[in-house]
Amino acid sequence: MSDPIKLTVDGREVTAPGGQLLIKAAEEHGTYIPRFCWHPRMKPVGMCRMCLVEVEGPRGKVLVTSCTTPVAEGMVVHTKSDVVKKAQEGVLEFLLVNHPLDCPVCDKGGECPLQDQTLSHGPGESRFVEEKRHFEKPIAISELVMLDRERCILCARCTRFSDEISGDPLIEFIDRGNHTQINTFPDEPFASYFSGNTVQICPVGALTATPYRFRARPWDLEAVESTCPQCSVGCRVSVQASQNQVLRLIGVDVDATNQGWLCDKGRFAFEHLRAPARLSTPLVRGADGELHEAGWGEALDLIASRIGAVIAERGPAAVAGLGGARSTNEEAYAFGKLLRGVLGTGNLDASLGDDPGAALLAGVPHRATIDDLERAKTILVWGPDLKEELPVLHLRVRRAATALGADVVVVHPRATGLDRDAAHVVRYRPGEGAATLQRLAAGEGDLAAVRAALDTGPVVAIVGRTGLAESADLADAVAAFALTLADAKVMPVARRGNVLGAIDMGVHPHLLPGRVAASDAAARAALAAAWGCAVAVPGRDTSGILSGMADGSIAAVLLLGCDPVADHPDRKAAAAAFDKAPFLVSLDLFLNESNRTADVVLPVDTFTEVEGTMTNLEGRVQKSNRIVPGVGASRPVVEILEDLAARLGGSIGAGAAAIAKEIALVAPAYAAVSWEALDWGRGRDGIVVAEGPFTHTPERRATDPSVGALTLHLGRVLYDGGTMITAGPSLARLAPEPAAHLHPDDASRLGFAAGDRVTVTGNAGSAAMAVAIDPTLARGTVYLPFNLGASIGNGLEVKVEK
Amino acid sequence: MTDRILTVRMEAHPTDSHTMARYEATGGYAALRKALAMKPEDIVAEVKASNLRGRGGAGFPTGVKWGFLAPTRPRYLVINADESEPGTFKDRQLLERDPHQLLEGIIISSFAIDAHHAFVFVRGEYPRSARRLQQAVEEARAAGYLGRGILGTGFDLDVTVHLGAGAYICGEETAALNSLEGRRGEPRIKPPFPAVAGLYAKPTIVNNVETIANIPWIVMNGGAAYNAIGPEGSRGTRLLSLSGHVANPGNYEIVMGMSWRDLIFGIGGGIPNGKALKCWIPGGASAPWFTPDLLDTPVTLDDIAKNGSMAGSGAVVVMDETTNVVAAAWSIVRFFSHESCGQCTPCREGTTWLQRILERILAGQGRPSDVDLLLDVCDNISPGLRWPPAQTTICPLGPSAVSPITSIMKHFRDEVVAMIPGAVTAGV
Amino acid sequence: MTWPDTTLARARDIIARYPEPRSAVMPLLYVAMRHDGRLTDEGMRQVAALTGMTAVQVESVASFYSMYKRHVGSHVVSVCTSISCHLLGGRDVLAAVSDATGVPAGETSADGSVTIESVECIGACGGAPAVQVDYELIEGVTPDKGAELCRWLMTAHPEVVHGDDLQTRFGGRRSFPAGPPDPVGAMGPYPAFGPLGTTGGEA
Ligand SMILES: Cc1cc2nc3c(=O)[nH]c(=O)nc-3n(C[C@H](O)[C@H](O)[C@H](O)COP(=O)(O)O)c2cc1C
Ligand code: SF4
Ligand code: FES
Repeated sequence: MSDPIKLTVDGREVTAPGGQLLIKAAEEHGTYIPRFCWHPRMKPVGMCRMCLVEVEGPRGKVLVTSCTTPVAEGMVVHTKSDVVKKAQEGVLEFLLVNHPLDCPVCDKGGECPLQDQTLSHGPGESRFVEEKRHFEKPIAISELVMLDRERCILCARCTRFSDEISGDPLIEFIDRGNHTQINTFPDEPFASYFSGNTVQICPVGALTATPYRFRARPWDLEAVESTCPQCSVGCRVSVQASQNQVLRLIGVDVDATNQGWLCDKGRFAFEHLRAPARLSTPLVRGADGELHEAGWGEALDLIASRIGAVIAERGPAAVAGLGGARSTNEEAYAFGKLLRGVLGTGNLDASLGDDPGAALLAGVPHRATIDDLERAKTILVWGPDLKEELPVLHLRVRRAATALGADVVVVHPRATGLDRDAAHVVRYRPGEGAATLQRLAAGEGDLAAVRAALDTGPVVAIVGRTGLAESADLADAVAAFALTLADAKVMPVARRGNVLGAIDMGVHPHLLPGRVAASDAAARAALAAAWGCAVAVPGRDTSGILSGMADGSIAAVLLLGCDPVADHPDRKAAAAAFDKAPFLVSLDLFLNESNRTADVVLPVDTFTEVEGTMTNLEGRVQKSNRIVPGVGASRPVVEILEDLAARLGGSIGAGAAAIAKEIALVAPAYAAVSWEALDWGRGRDGIVVAEGPFTHTPERRATDPSVGALTLHLGRVLYDGGTMITAGPSLARLAPEPAAHLHPDDASRLGFAAGDRVTVTGNAGSAAMAVAIDPTLARGTVYLPFNLGASIGNGLEVKVEK
Repeated sequence: MTDRILTVRMEAHPTDSHTMARYEATGGYAALRKALAMKPEDIVAEVKASNLRGRGGAGFPTGVKWGFLAPTRPRYLVINADESEPGTFKDRQLLERDPHQLLEGIIISSFAIDAHHAFVFVRGEYPRSARRLQQAVEEARAAGYLGRGILGTGFDLDVTVHLGAGAYICGEETAALNSLEGRRGEPRIKPPFPAVAGLYAKPTIVNNVETIANIPWIVMNGGAAYNAIGPEGSRGTRLLSLSGHVANPGNYEIVMGMSWRDLIFGIGGGIPNGKALKCWIPGGASAPWFTPDLLDTPVTLDDIAKNGSMAGSGAVVVMDETTNVVAAAWSIVRFFSHESCGQCTPCREGTTWLQRILERILAGQGRPSDVDLLLDVCDNISPGLRWPPAQTTICPLGPSAVSPITSIMKHFRDEVVAMIPGAVTAGV
Repeated sequence: MTWPDTTLARARDIIARYPEPRSAVMPLLYVAMRHDGRLTDEGMRQVAALTGMTAVQVESVASFYSMYKRHVGSHVVSVCTSISCHLLGGRDVLAAVSDATGVPAGETSADGSVTIESVECIGACGGAPAVQVDYELIEGVTPDKGAELCRWLMTAHPEVVHGDDLQTRFGGRRSFPAGPPDPVGAMGPYPAFGPLGTTGGEA
């Protein structure tokens, strides 16, 4: 957009950036021009013709669509002339010619732009006396989306979204002219990870979401703005509820993160909130070895006495805490303060060994923001398949590649969602990452062009674990390489919602709140002064805690919303640790593989039920808000922890609001963060906390192990076996069957065909599954989706046998 | 003075005018040799000087259009052979009977605009045209007129004959480009114009078959010679398609400026079966109709426009006194409804609505309010019902459906009203 | 890939005629029709695979045009009813054709031999009323000749139809002198054009 220009709208002179679309310029100056097809995040198509206005030209006034007309110096525009009004009424009448007018039974009724504009700009009654266009209604075009073609006004918002924004064009216009309809291909449903966005942007009730259909009328809904906790992108959402039940999530358009979009996991996972399996009372293991419902007093007394006993007998180093990455910052802070201050142990970790390492996450220099992607010329993605793990970040990178002209370089063992739009794709076999990096850095052979591309800055390097069988050292090495590029910034990524926030809150053996090194005695002393109690010295991280559980040196473990047996890459080690069953307390929503053996399970309030903040992968702190109560006897984590602290003779603070204020005092990077500053409407973009004081210098330490004929690529898929997915009816059925994916050459060498049942053996066991053929896979690689039930461990070496 | 340019060869050599042998034997490809020795910009200058206007419908000056090309490369030439406007069948004759004439024009035009790939978009219902052109392309390639290093120069050119699949709207130039890109044939919003961002978003010239078929003659004889033929604003010759209630239907290459009377009653042989002339469409189904009071006005682009219609694609459709004008208008409205791409609400819904009102009237179920309703629906597609038409749509297809209705309402309102039970004829 | 190698080779030749594979979708849809006798889901999937489109994108393109037909007999008889043919009796030809075959416009005879359709202008207005059989043109068709043409199609089951041959047997006045006969004929309800592999060769 170029320099500001002046134009006249309805007789008023206004200023707008040259090249801005008239519809937007007018709106910014208070003149709303009606529209259906135009959407600010997509290319205009000028199809519905609702936004017609008159522009004065050399040959008199001309009707133009304001959504396709850029403003120009001296332009004279009429948005309310008689001709404009007549044209707009005409368009509306045409739209209603074939519209069923079934508003009373339509989900969109009450928030329908067609309904609204008919009231404000439409003709009185229809002069159309013929039979309307009929279609079978509604039809399911995916597990999540229903389509009513009679209501459709053919604005192409959904088709443009799926083609232009999400890049999976599975819905399209079929037929021509007056027979045109939206549809999917027979037997190819609209199975997009982003399908819910089309429901959100459909201007009528043609596309509706199965989880919301007929659940509520818009005027009965209350709404609160919040932050999606499903991954670390931190999308802004509007949470909408009625009668104490969350009914839907709507993406909120902010430049900083999601630009209005959500992935379907983020949009629909709320169903788990009222899942029947959700815990609603404390559970205490009885003498019979079973978990029984208990009162809060009983449960907390038991925890306090057992942990008190462990500390008395074996010292605080026998106590540990895991988790916090799904919690708010306030909850994580409270958890850290309870462990480090009240209980006196430095054994605590929010990171489960499945991310690129807390040091890189929290301490990377030159950290990129998501918005840096808007300006990047080159984007290196050497990490997870973003579409599977951080879907809306995938959309932002895709936008950079397809709409903003950035060159994307993808390095991954198999095809990722970005490959089609990437300028360069590098395939490598897990276990050969360090060598691949070396060749890339040197620009050897076929990688010369890739290396050359990386010399065009600004560069954003998105770095993370491509899979869980590879060591986190590789991500560190890639980050180190990226930092050698001129004009480069690094974005270390981990999937779990608030993992960076929890680390920032000090849920890490080596970091105090605010990214302060825990080894720094002065810092510990300062914190001790603020807390009014001693601050424990650094202790064990997750693997240390797991081995401590296995060897008996850890005797009591607190789990805060975390399931290491399912989520730790080395599931065998995690399972072995939990089999030893030290005294185990779990604060969670559901029973899971880890807390099945717990002594006490405490039901907690969660997203939509508590107020707090979260920190996304950029270090952007955003607010989460409460709109519904928890279920049954569930309570906010901070209150539970405070009650527990009190029973153990300490205190962590009374309530999340007080804790938030304390964070601003003790965590230097968070000094500017307050709930007020982040409030709905004001602090929409959140606050990106400053880097440091802890910094980490990434190093090229990664070396490649010597590996056998087949190595394991353990990647994640969006709909996996996680509880948020499996607990809600809509998403649970979308999880794919686990399969062993092989390159066709490997499959034929080994004599396997697609569908053959095989046994896959890794370092931690064997699992039976079907073979799937994947020509995009690096040769010599077996790809297994992680966390889909079949656990064989995370060693690189695998065997596949009949 | 020359009075025929395009149809001389096919008439003199009815059995083989389409072959390379005959084409070369009658002076073919001499213009190409001459052009390849010229500077491209000089060819463009000759075309400008000729005042050749496009024969696809809009009548835009060809040389001026070529001058709008954005400097970027590659550039493309697209020949519009989608000829689908009801009443029009002239391009088919040029394709079937003298494909090398068009091909030579394509090669020269591509050289002039620095295009190295040209596409000919032939409507799917013209397989014979496509076959004849494809054969010409193969002959020309074998003879060194196409391919790499044409006639020993450094100029390379590929020509792809592309077959459409039944969609009138692909005649609209940007719809043709979408179709060539493998998309639905939906018109694009202009600007950008194809000369700036056309095929694959690259600078592209779209010209009609007949337009480009004139290029070899212009290069051989000079722009000034062409500009000396015919009246100002309608230079050169023009191939008109005459059809309907006329004794001698067919394509006629004429110099413009004769009267409608000379055309319909002279060349056309008048109305058969001793019937009287009722009205005619002067320029294809999109054009407003003329009535006998205009018989003595000249057939030129400007005069037709002045009289409230357009020369369009050169299709003259004659209707005799027995014609049921409501049924005739319905046939045309139905055509546009069938051919609407469906993007624009007013065109998609409006043309179908108009069709259905007319169907009701034809079935004897018209309502007295239908006369006003027809005109108001038209007004919502083409506000003010003026000429040249305003439009609430992206392309002129929607407004084209308005022409037959405003025509019958203007000239034959009583006949329309008489078909509607209970409606009162004005003035009675 | 379900197409035989020769068809795939033809498809690759066609793709090579365009700067981008997607541009080949229209000719490839004809190739798909030639392969299956009509447009099928499988054919569209095949075209999608060859052009890098999704199947529904291919269907979106295919369904925009009227000549890619999912439901069609061995031959398609297209009777023009646009303005010039309308004025000169095109609707009578259509009625006669429907009567003779027992097939209403838009439908296919029970034996699958012919599909009858009413179409918009086919560029033969000077020879109105006009009819096409598999896009081979016959001009100056009377209702009787139209009916005769259909009866012939349904009994003789010609493998190839030639425009000039049909014109001689069932046609009348032409829009313009046609020049020498064209030896090529159509092999099914799609246009006969060399690059598509749909030409019937010498009569
Ligand atoms: C609905 C519509 C249909 C058209 N059909 C044709 C056509 O069949 N052939 C053609 O040459 N131009 C057609 N045109 C005009 C083209 O858009 C374009 O103006 C023309 O091909 C340019 O070539 P010219 O400058 O040589 O006339 C059509 C335009 C519209 C709006
Ligand atoms: S006016 Fe009709 S044909 Fe033209 S773009 Fe709009 S919908 Fe398509
Ligand atoms: S909003 Fe501008 S045409 Fe639809």
